[in-house]
Amino acid sequence: MANPMEQFEIKTLSPIELGGYDVSFTNSSLWMMIALVTVAGFLFIGTAAPKLVPGRWQASVEYLEEFIRNMLAENVGPEGRRYVPLVFALFIFVLGCNLLGLLPFVGAFTPTSHIAVTFGLAALVFLVVLGVGFARHGLHFFSLFIPKDCPIVLLPLVTAIEFVSFLSRPFTLAIRLFANMTAGHVLLKVFGGFVVSLGVFGLLPLGVNVALTALEVMIAVVQAYVFALLTSIYLNDAVNLH
Amino acid sequence: MPQFDPSNFLPQMFWLAIAFAILYFGVVRLTLPKIGKVVDERASMIAADLSAAEVAHTAAANTGHAYDAVLAKSREAATSVVSDAKAVTVRENEAKLAKLDAELNARLASAEARISDARAKALGEIETAASEAAADVVERLTGVRPGELEARAAVAASLS
Repeated sequence: MANPMEQFEIKTLSPIELGGYDVSFTNSSLWMMIALVTVAGFLFIGTAAPKLVPGRWQASVEYLEEFIRNMLAENVGPEGRRYVPLVFALFIFVLGCNLLGLLPFVGAFTPTSHIAVTFGLAALVFLVVLGVGFARHGLHFFSLFIPKDCPIVLLPLVTAIEFVSFLSRPFTLAIRLFANMTAGHVLLKVFGGFVVSLGVFGLLPLGVNVALTALEVMIAVVQAYVFALLTSIYLNDAVNLH
Repeated sequence: MPQFDPSNFLPQMFWLAIAFAILYFGVVRLTLPKIGKVVDERASMIAADLSAAEVAHTAAANTGHAYDAVLAKSREAATSVVSDAKAVTVRENEAKLAKLDAELNARLASAEARISDARAKALGEIETAASEAAADVVERLTGVRPGELEARAAVAASLS
């Protein structure tokens, strides 16, 4: 049976070195670019000629934009409108990578199943939250770690816990997405291996794989949603300080 | 797991940065504001249409109220005209009746006067006839004819 981890192998397609560092164009880079082109195509077609009464493409883009706008309005408030492009870009990039990686053919690759990618995105969110927080509140931003109405005795402990949980955000954000994607693809691969090795009885794992694929499509969407939702919740901390 | 191979980190993050930068600055920043604009436009158009409809609705309601008011006023006017006409007719009828009444009363009075005249006249004639008859009777019985005035006084005394 094929090794279920084989699908996550990074294959260098075109070796590039920049100042002594390896920045080769790999299959991961290729699929990020495919996601980028797909998303860009969707957005450019959808907004080519915006009309008051939208066509199908425009309606789809509008639907997603409204979805993100409402998410930010609910979690951040009226101030959240400024961050719609960022959260929208994060959401649609993660969604594109997640869904395109599920295409069932050899060579398909899911960049979001790699912690380097998800951590890169999570670190971006973390840095934006820090930047917005300090730009809006200055050093007062540290009051985020001091919950309201906390007894003085517990204050040092609670503040330490809040601080650690704040620092762990980029890691939890990165690991949640990476783990979900990796686990899903491993499962699909394992059942796919059974289909071949069981012969006629392979129909059973094939059925399981069909169901799993549907589940994975849902997870791909849900995880992109969770990523965007947590981003807006973190932005709320930075904008409104609780 | 290839995910935890540190030699894979840098190339992926490098290309992630490029892809995401292009996506954010070159795609989302260019396209999303267009959608936001058209959505806002649509929202303001719908709001304007709704308020126009509201205004038209209010105007229609006002026209309806005005119509009702005019209708009520006309009805009132019509009622008062009818009642006036009725009152006038009643008064005219009363006047006519009174006039007729007076005329009839006058005719009645003149008729009564004529009747009483005729009666007095008849009574006088009866007296004359009675006194002549009484004088004849006395002449036949006594052979002396009483004077006309004497006979007349005796008849008047016995008649009254």
